[in-house]
Amino acid sequence: MIDPAPQPGERTSPRVLLVHTITFRQARALAPVVLGIGAARGLGDGPAALVALVVGITVLSLLAAAVSWWRFSYAVGDRAVVVTRGLLTRSVRTVPLDRVRGVEVEAPLLHRVFGLVRVRIDAAAGSSVTGTEELLVDGVPRAEGDRLRAVLLTRRARPAAGEPEPEHDAAQDDPTEPVEEEIARFDNRWLLYAPLVGGYLAVPLAAVGALTRLADELPERFVPDVEGPDVVDGPVVAIAVVAAVLVLVLGSVIGAAVVNWRFRLVRRGGSLIAVRGLVTRRHTELEIDRIRGYTVSEGLGMRLVGAARASALVTGLGDAARRGQLFPLGPRAQAWSLGERIVEAPGPLRAHPPAARRRAVVRSVVPGSVVLLAGAVLTATLGWWGVLVAGIVLTVLGVPLGLGLYAALGHAAGPHSLAVRSGWLLRSHTVLQRRAVIGWQVRQSPFQRRAGLATVVACVGAGSGGYAAVDLAADEAAGFVTTASGRWAGTLHPSS
Amino acid sequence: MTAPPPAPVRDPAWPLSRSAIGLWTTQGVISTVVYVLALAAFFVFVPGDAGTPVTLVRWLGPVLVVVHGALAIGVRPRLRYRVHRWEVTDEAVFTLTGWLTRTWTLVPISRIQTVDVTRGVLQGLFGLSTVLVLTASSQGTVRMPHLETDVARRVADDLARRAELVRDEAT
Repeated sequence: MIDPAPQPGERTSPRVLLVHTITFRQARALAPVVLGIGAARGLGDGPAALVALVVGITVLSLLAAAVSWWRFSYAVGDRAVVVTRGLLTRSVRTVPLDRVRGVEVEAPLLHRVFGLVRVRIDAAAGSSVTGTEELLVDGVPRAEGDRLRAVLLTRRARPAAGEPEPEHDAAQDDPTEPVEEEIARFDNRWLLYAPLVGGYLAVPLAAVGALTRLADELPERFVPDVEGPDVVDGPVVAIAVVAAVLVLVLGSVIGAAVVNWRFRLVRRGGSLIAVRGLVTRRHTELEIDRIRGYTVSEGLGMRLVGAARASALVTGLGDAARRGQLFPLGPRAQAWSLGERIVEAPGPLRAHPPAARRRAVVRSVVPGSVVLLAGAVLTATLGWWGVLVAGIVLTVLGVPLGLGLYAALGHAAGPHSLAVRSGWLLRSHTVLQRRAVIGWQVRQSPFQRRAGLATVVACVGAGSGGYAAVDLAADEAAGFVTTASGRWAGTLHPSS
Repeated sequence: MTAPPPAPVRDPAWPLSRSAIGLWTTQGVISTVVYVLALAAFFVFVPGDAGTPVTLVRWLGPVLVVVHGALAIGVRPRLRYRVHRWEVTDEAVFTLTGWLTRTWTLVPISRIQTVDVTRGVLQGLFGLSTVLVLTASSQGTVRMPHLETDVARRVADDLARRAELVRDEAT
């Protein structure tokens, strides 16, 4: 598998030294040590000490970056890619090209300033269960990054045919490049959905959190002495609430814009290529042949406005949640038509039996009723009625929650694919190709046994590893499995 | 809802080795002894008049340990033995495990990636081994615990050989 004589490796661009010096990439590990020494010896008060410190760290950083640049090399042979690095312990990693599962070219802001990109090479590791490993070639010129990607992905499949030019930013499209078909393009109006998506709402919250931490660490004398409003009266509270909502909405829209800016999904040859990002421009390539299915997820808020997100389930793809994204955010219909192009849907979902509804309601009422019971005891003994009220509220809320959970349940099996759906807060609907299923698991708890239900899990070598049809009618389980998987699953039939 | 409803899928054909009962019982005895020792240490080293929580533990602890012992030694091994079954058919590996919650797992031989045989110290004493069948899915792992060692080895060899013959992409 290994090239007999690996060619002398290629270096990354020396410009990466500047990037790494600025970001202290290698020196970051040293910073605490330096700071520790500084703190122990006591820094002089004058600005001279500060300047010395800054210069020292910069020089250290430059040195560290230079050493790792000097000792790093990569080579792409006919059958393997070899990455060599390390100052004292040399490490040589050889990844056969047929193990390369995907190549991602990303360009963070600083890299873009210097015209560089970072190439991540995903490789399937041996025969381990979840194993994927990653090679990182940090800081090659943009053209070289694109060449690497093209070479790595084409040499594996077919003899290197020209170099597809994936330059989307400038209009210098090469006429000889393989036909490219645009599948989806982000419409900036879709950013308005962002405030209803949990993940994007977290962006402004995290930012506010970071700001308060920063404010806490500021020396006392830098904190402006603002007189807080003493009277907590209506208008002030209202203004604060409105401001908070505005920050949340704006922050989430901005967050979504930064991540998804000019998102584009195109199909070129046997690959799907997703490009997105405002600050860091990411370029992810998914091989269509390795796609086993897709998930369309709709959060509670997204369902209100008919928005959805779609991601592909790809075998051997590390960090699949982010890289498998086909459609980050947009109208439901578009997400579905996109999915439909990947895997034919197995037809309408079948609802689960009434026993499943009873079970869902009971399960979501139980926590509330435990609180209720505790509240009753506390009211009787100590006279604390607060817990009792909370228990009543939780119990009553449990009913719609259970009904919602039940309404989300569904499954279907067709000749080419199968589908399962579940979840209330985040409803995810997964459609899998027939060949995706590499095993079945049927689970039945004592309660399910009494209610005549069972949970059927399709085991898949992609995505989260297993997709469950929760609370199927027990006598439908075998039928579902055989329709979905054909002959080998017939083993499960009770009659056989 | 009075008669136990039929299982959702059929049960695999073969039971485990009877020595498995002995092994599970031994494990139950060991865990019970550990709990008893921990409880004894609590009684010896924690003064009895140190407040409500301690009194609570002093009353509840022995009850819990006795219940655990009865379950782990008297009930669970037999129940497990009754539930656990396995089978290797022409096309698939099929197991049933669990004691309260039951789990049936079916993996076609063509999708098997690796087959491992492991033997713990206790298992060794009882002449038992576990066969682990791994696939590309983290959830599609089949465990056939506590087979007789020579049976386990035969099954593993046979599965590995057949997987080699019929393997397709395996993902």
